[in-house]
Amino acid sequence: MLIANRGVTAVRVMHTCRDRKIPTAAVYSTPDRLAHHVFMADSAVHIGEAPPSESYLNMDRMINAAIQTKSDAIHPGWGFLAENAEFARMVIDRGIIWIGPPPDVIKAVGDKIQAKRLAQNANVPTIPGIIDVTDIEQIKQWMDDEKLCFPIMIKAVAGGGGKGMVKVENEEQLAQAFSKARSEAQKSFGDERVLVEKYIERGRHIEVQIVADEYGNVVHLFERECTIQRRNQKIIEEAPSPSLDDDLRSEICFTAARLMREIGYTSAGTVEFLFDSTTKKFYFLEVNTRLQVEHGITELITGLDIVGIMIDVAIGKRLPFKQTDIHPNRWALEVRLNAEDPKNFSPSFGTITRLQVPMGPNVRVASGVYEGADIPPYYDSLFMLLMSAGADRADAIRVMDRALGRNLRVEGIKTLQPLLLSIIRHPAFIAGEFSTRFIEEHMDELISMFKEKNSEDNVLKIAKYVAEISALGHQKWM
Amino acid sequence: MLQKYPLLGIRNGCRMKDYIFVKPGMSPEEIVKDIRSLEGVCLTSTGMRDAGQSDYKNRHRIYDLATLAPYYNKLGLFSAECHGGARWHVGIMNRRESPFEEINILRELMPNVLLQTLIRETNLWGYRPYPKNVIEYVVARVDIDVWRCFSFLNDVRNMRAVAEVVMKRGKLFEPTISFTHADWTTNDYYLGVVRDIVDLCGGTEEIILCIKDMAGVGSIQRIGSLIDAIKQKFPELVIQYHRHITDGLALPAYLAAAQSGAKIFDVEEDSLVRFYGQPPILGVHAYFEESGIPVNLNRKEAEAAVQKVREWIGYYEWAESPFKGYDHTVTLHKMPGGAFPSSFEQSDKGGFLHFMPAILKVMSLYNRIIHYFDVTPGSQITWVTCSGIVNRYAKEKGAAGVRHLINLLTRFIEEKSLDFESMKEDEQEELLSFFKNAPGDFKNLLLGHYGKLPMGWPPDWVYKSTFGDEWEIKIKERMELSPLDSLEDDDLEKLREDLTDSISRNPSEEEFILYLMHPKDALEMIGFREKYGEAPLVLPTNVWREGLKNYGDKVEFELWGKPYCVELVSIGDEYEGVIYVVMRVNNKTRVYIVETPRAKKVAIRIAKGPNDIAAPITGNVWRIGNPERGTLRVGDIVHKGEEIANLEAMKMENAIIAPFDGHVTEICVKLNDSVIEGQLLFILEKI
Repeated sequence: MLIANRGVTAVRVMHTCRDRKIPTAAVYSTPDRLAHHVFMADSAVHIGEAPPSESYLNMDRMINAAIQTKSDAIHPGWGFLAENAEFARMVIDRGIIWIGPPPDVIKAVGDKIQAKRLAQNANVPTIPGIIDVTDIEQIKQWMDDEKLCFPIMIKAVAGGGGKGMVKVENEEQLAQAFSKARSEAQKSFGDERVLVEKYIERGRHIEVQIVADEYGNVVHLFERECTIQRRNQKIIEEAPSPSLDDDLRSEICFTAARLMREIGYTSAGTVEFLFDSTTKKFYFLEVNTRLQVEHGITELITGLDIVGIMIDVAIGKRLPFKQTDIHPNRWALEVRLNAEDPKNFSPSFGTITRLQVPMGPNVRVASGVYEGADIPPYYDSLFMLLMSAGADRADAIRVMDRALGRNLRVEGIKTLQPLLLSIIRHPAFIAGEFSTRFIEEHMDELISMFKEKNSEDNVLKIAKYVAEISALGHQKWM
Repeated sequence: MLQKYPLLGIRNGCRMKDYIFVKPGMSPEEIVKDIRSLEGVCLTSTGMRDAGQSDYKNRHRIYDLATLAPYYNKLGLFSAECHGGARWHVGIMNRRESPFEEINILRELMPNVLLQTLIRETNLWGYRPYPKNVIEYVVARVDIDVWRCFSFLNDVRNMRAVAEVVMKRGKLFEPTISFTHADWTTNDYYLGVVRDIVDLCGGTEEIILCIKDMAGVGSIQRIGSLIDAIKQKFPELVIQYHRHITDGLALPAYLAAAQSGAKIFDVEEDSLVRFYGQPPILGVHAYFEESGIPVNLNRKEAEAAVQKVREWIGYYEWAESPFKGYDHTVTLHKMPGGAFPSSFEQSDKGGFLHFMPAILKVMSLYNRIIHYFDVTPGSQITWVTCSGIVNRYAKEKGAAGVRHLINLLTRFIEEKSLDFESMKEDEQEELLSFFKNAPGDFKNLLLGHYGKLPMGWPPDWVYKSTFGDEWEIKIKERMELSPLDSLEDDDLEKLREDLTDSISRNPSEEEFILYLMHPKDALEMIGFREKYGEAPLVLPTNVWREGLKNYGDKVEFELWGKPYCVELVSIGDEYEGVIYVVMRVNNKTRVYIVETPRAKKVAIRIAKGPNDIAAPITGNVWRIGNPERGTLRVGDIVHKGEEIANLEAMKMENAIIAPFDGHVTEICVKLNDSVIEGQLLFILEKI
């Protein structure tokens, strides 16, 4: 199997391949030559230079790599070509197994406008908004007609992962935000179309994991709560959602399964909803036609291997379970370790000079790096996922606190570790009371909770002093 | 059967004497009472402060001094002087230790011992008068039991703020008179000062009076007579005699003082004693005991402390004065113990070491023209002024000029009895050029900024010489008030904000106080500690100064209760300004890249001023200007809110927005440059 991806994603897929004794082929761009996923694979193919368009987004080279390595199947992971219908079509046309949903399904729901229509047809509630927006006068007109006020959200039609998504607070920002969203959309997805929606204040982000086979079996694996975000990108996820009671849970899960059944979905996918906790209403956001970053917590609460299910479905197997067989019996939490400054999220690339990975009961680590690896500036800043599980939410938080606070150590780059720890220790998070704006609303407080003193850090400072004085001799200021 | 509990306090069959007679937490009144009722005398050890200041440029590190603390805890001292004076400032500048950390360490290791500081009235632990609110703020926040407070002018008014806060906190205030030997420092003069002190402190029940003989100039007879005179007037006053040994007569002077009724004496470990500090603890003990004066001292522990010093004192040989040996002429030039090593260091660095005898001679003459006490900050004023005059003569007229200068001054003082008018006209001219290059602090002294001079203001010709044509105006401006009453309060909140801005975080209370005393040096110290952590506290002195030398050399230390080890593997050769050092830190190999002074600095301009536009994140400049108007050029006009560039990082766009209407005076980056957070992108000029 060729894994058309890099980093955490590629490593995750390879783990299941190892379980199944499926030989793996990796692809890499020039700066990723010595990356973790390359070492882990059985073979690896260089597919181009650093810019994604020349390597991980380059479909021809990807297909050639599959042919060169005699791969029978391609798993796209998440990001890059994962939701590219054209690529899926090319893979299938070359007689290679595509591990994912059918290209026409990807195409149909990958277009936000069409997806919204599909949802409406399936009686799934959607957020008020307009589609096919080409200039800001249209937006103003719509807001007048619907008597809406700011804020509003501009989204790339082809978007996902928070890119090409801009919140607009007032009319002055509109023009600039509009052109920014279009330009980002063009850059990230090669499609500058955007749509505009009302912004749901204090919304929560809840999504339902679906798996489906070619025989019409559609099963949900319950929901995940992904409300804690920074710049519209999730950084903490958990399953189940602390926002829902059992009635709402089954309603939202069955709604998702119904939608996916109607659009003829197969493989693993996710239906995302925005949940308004004050009105208890949920709105359809989008369908993600891929394995998601946060699938691991669903695996932890259900005991299933979603990548394994995707492989089985792709080779024509039936789902080995029915809906009534799925009984989640854990609470799981995931944090995303991004290589970013925890105070302002500016990217921090470089070499990971030291890496101490948390261990101990109930911790799962999905790492895209090893000690000594480089984090290149060209790709996503995510380099490791940390997951914890427990009998209930408090248990899962406790385990995560241990993993983040005592066991994890990353040197050489800045990571979100202190921020993530502050969040899971914050009373509002512990109480389960938060919205997608949690981080912006509490940022100063969260930063003030960063632990300042740490004997290991201090020892390294002392060692640095010893190194300098040993090299340079005694100093004038002494 | 084994004895279950050893008998407490019993050794060799006889009960050990408990030497501890005062402890932290006792009220000043109780302490004073205990000292009065003590048979014989007791001691203050200066081993942790003045000993180091006088002979080792204050370089003794708390790492080494702390090894003495367990002995001090059993010595039965009155107090340990471990804080204040120049140790405070040198700690920040050169040892990178905070005086607050030192107190914490010593408190834990010697809980029985009163900790003592030395404080310069309104000048606190700095060299200039601080406003009253700063004094009150600082004194209220330092955990010290005994506050020895002196004035280099013996201007008791200046002590008021310190006295009030210390006494209100229930700590022991030790007002101190600066002592020197001169024709004007009579017993009557000192009795006047003591009376002012007793009035300020509301009697003699809660204070100890200290006589600070900071250069060691009091003759045996003089000291006996002075203490006798004070005891006659104030029989209940407990007196401490602080003295340096430079003249070689310290021990007999101590005996004379004890016989006249002084109760407390300053000493240091015999193994620390050189030439400018305090007398040796064991020698003083033996001499007093043989003279029939009991000393409250656990001699066995004192001997152990003296022995302990030998384990580390060798690391400080480099800090000792190059001018070795006793010097009885100190009674003339009066340079105090603490200033001796630093003066020689300066003259050595400045290339005028050979003029030291001449400078000392000029100092002795200067002392007779302008009357105050040569102790901080006065000693610095004397030193800078006199060395400046000698250097000027040396530069203009060579060694002969310096001889001429000394002859002129000697004639003026000894033959003409300081009568300016009786000097010849050309000599008057020369005297009038004397102070024209005097340092600012000398001028401030003449203007009364430090307080009143003990014998009144210097004669008019000194003002003429210092201020030239403006001398009369300057005399009119001269302050008669104490700086306590004339200096305006500092805005503490503003200062705290300044510090917060400078270090980009909230400072601790301790850091703020360091900043209040010595702003520039405190910032450097804070920066140093952010970079190197607790290196100054945990590293042994040889490693602190020289690092590790050879393969396998290692340093083991404890930090916050856990053991650590740093072991050297190799030090590479310098290549293009960089040396690679490989070490094993707790068994893990690490490579350190050390830049030498020859390292090439990649100059990245950082935005500073309000017209500088900074990169908000680390990223890539992918557009300069915006799609509507295209690329920006120098001279273009931009409008507030207009996008002027765009940075991309990890596929997210970040617009740089013009913060005001302006024109572009400089574009500091090129398209596709990688920039770091804070890097200067544009300079705009407001329209």
